[in-house]
Amino acid sequence: MKHSTVITGVLAIAFIALTVTSCNGNKKADNNDDRHHSEVKSDDHSNMNHDNSDGHHDKYTHKGERAIDINAQKNVTTSPIIDAYIQIKNGLVATDEAATAKGGTVLLTAFSKFDMTTLKDDTHKEYMEIYESAKEQAEHIVKSAIDHQREHFETLSTDINDLITLLGTEKTLYQDFCPMANNNKGAYWLSEVEAIKNPYFGSKMMKCGSIKRQIN
Amino acid sequence: MKIFKIIALVALVVFVGIQFIPTTLNQSDIVYETDFMIVNNVSETIQSKFKISCYDCHSNNTAYPWYHKIQPIAWFMGRHIEDGKAELNFNEWGNYSDRRKKSKIKSIISQIKDGKMPLSSYTLIHGRAKLSESDEELIIKWIDDLKIVYKR
Repeated sequence: MKHSTVITGVLAIAFIALTVTSCNGNKKADNNDDRHHSEVKSDDHSNMNHDNSDGHHDKYTHKGERAIDINAQKNVTTSPIIDAYIQIKNGLVATDEAATAKGGTVLLTAFSKFDMTTLKDDTHKEYMEIYESAKEQAEHIVKSAIDHQREHFETLSTDINDLITLLGTEKTLYQDFCPMANNNKGAYWLSEVEAIKNPYFGSKMMKCGSIKRQIN
Repeated sequence: MKIFKIIALVALVVFVGIQFIPTTLNQSDIVYETDFMIVNNVSETIQSKFKISCYDCHSNNTAYPWYHKIQPIAWFMGRHIEDGKAELNFNEWGNYSDRRKKSKIKSIISQIKDGKMPLSSYTLIHGRAKLSESDEELIIKWIDDLKIVYKR
């Protein structure tokens, strides 16, 4: 009698364990599916964008630095995105990994709330490209260590710059440049304050950089 | 003593049981027109380095080792491949926007430079996938030049 209880017990545990693992398996398959869908979707976009050859942005200077034109258009809809970007920037200035990561989350939310239905044709295509890239950078900023956050911030700065070029802003911003960032290749960033506070080095080289342009 | 026997038995049953859970393989014999190698007209030397060191997780075709059929190893690998492809899929390169290509090139360079890619857990078993210092230099120099192609 006792023997059979033990066997039944073992079988029951094994059954439960199996059920649990196979449930996980299913869930994973579902996730795969979701991701697949979104991948297909984004592929569509990039396909679409691909036809859109470089037209007007050919902003390479002789050293490979990117000079960025700024649209003077006053646009309030981009403000939440810019605010989130500034939050990331300030996290990096303070060399605060957690605050930077939080800024990344805020940026993802801001992008998801952005109403792009008003954007037409080429503007929409370009917005989608910028969004796709900025989203990817933000996702990495959320989950990475500070040095890696800084690398993605450099690309993100280009994206946000281009977004402002494309759509405009009502904010007063300063476009700063530090020649030592990005392995001495130099990198831009945007700041809401006039004083130079370097997000690429933080306290190590807080004052490195200069204002290249003022927006609004 | 009896309790250990029971635990061992349960573990065995579970281990055997999970072997029956089907997994999907990351395999494809399609030649992608959008593949990194075709789009960029890559030389044989560089091609083989990428294919050996990167393509197992960053393309639609993995060269699986014999033990890939054993669970939970198969799950572990599946996860890695899935994540790797979401991050960068060389087969899809031509579909990426120029903005994305540029950002990917930047990430490839920094990952290789920092020794983060290929993953050490991968090169531990795939000794061939490990990039020597001269390989790294060669790849970084070559891919850095590629950046100029994707001006934006």
